[in-house]
Amino acid sequence: MSEVTPRETQTGSAFAHASEAEFSRILDFYQVTWEYEPQVFPILWDLDGNVLESFAPDFFLPDLDLFVELTTLQQRLVRKKNRKVRRLRELYPNLRIKLFYARDFRALMLKYGRSALVSELSGTLGQVGPRQNQESVSDDTAGTGHAGAARPLDLSTAPAGATLDAGAHDRRSRGARRRAVRRAAAAYAPNSTAP
Amino acid sequence: MKHSQDLNEDVAEVLLSEDQIRVKVIELGKRISADYAGRELTLVSVLKGSLPFMADLMRQIELPLRIDLMEVSSYGGTSTESSGLVRILKDLSAPIDGRDVLLVEDIIDTGLTLNYLLRYLKGKKPNSIKVCALLDKPARRLVEIPIDYVGFEIPDAFVVGYGLDFGEVYRNLRFVGVLRPEAYES
Repeated sequence: MSEVTPRETQTGSAFAHASEAEFSRILDFYQVTWEYEPQVFPILWDLDGNVLESFAPDFFLPDLDLFVELTTLQQRLVRKKNRKVRRLRELYPNLRIKLFYARDFRALMLKYGRSALVSELSGTLGQVGPRQNQESVSDDTAGTGHAGAARPLDLSTAPAGATLDAGAHDRRSRGARRRAVRRAAAAYAPNSTAP
Repeated sequence: MKHSQDLNEDVAEVLLSEDQIRVKVIELGKRISADYAGRELTLVSVLKGSLPFMADLMRQIELPLRIDLMEVSSYGGTSTESSGLVRILKDLSAPIDGRDVLLVEDIIDTGLTLNYLLRYLKGKKPNSIKVCALLDKPARRLVEIPIDYVGFEIPDAFVVGYGLDFGEVYRNLRFVGVLRPEAYES
């Protein structure tokens, strides 16, 4: 695995979008353990096995074995995100992921009496921020933890090869990459014991 | 927020009428009475939203039972401060160890509060603990928790009435209705 730079945690700047920071505070409030973008899943490869596209869900809730992807994009603009999540579910059917749309987030804020925050945290541009390429395979920084404990990329919840970081990917031989890709697809396959 | 003097005017649609709720509560009471026959039950209601449901449900359960009340803080519920942890604002007034407990909730949406409460109550070593919710909004679920008794599965809309509030208002409506967006967007 390549050396990764742990992200800051529990600060607004640690997240790609303010809605993610707000969501993390809600999880903290209800004492739900979370990890921020702990895994990057390859979802598209070329014929040589090179990863062309990957997807890093925003949150993993280990106690609930659930990934959560937030989007504050307007509903009509979420097609690309929907496609990625659909692809993720096809490739890793044992993986549980919840896509939290802008309307879900808005309802959550409304429920908690924080509707004034909705316009502040939502936008047509969606998740733009310090990391413009967060959904690309070149996003090689990941891994923060709950309660401010920054730590490197955690692959412990999936078998080796289930997730790839860009650095590891670049150094592998073509055969090794193919094997890794097969393992990645198998990691969350129906009969896998992986979460 | 601004609400009308006549609260009915802020309701876009009656989702569940008073009659529908009454029939369902009777049905739930019968099921619970049958399931717990020969046992003593402790109903734990979560303030404030589940009060009307608790009051109606307990009178439809034909068993010896105790009631207790709990209240937990809600995220952002008491101030604009968004940090901190959920707190028990009102704890049980009697021990529940060894007892059969039925947690009575008005609505389950994300499941975050319920998840916290169940963990807390299980720590008090009851003989059993089950959940009864009048309303289930599965579209919003984050924490998958089995709900043993569900009154109605409802669509993804902001609902008020029969205990459910927006800004502490609308709890006294006798039905469950969908709040007009103007009521919370103003």
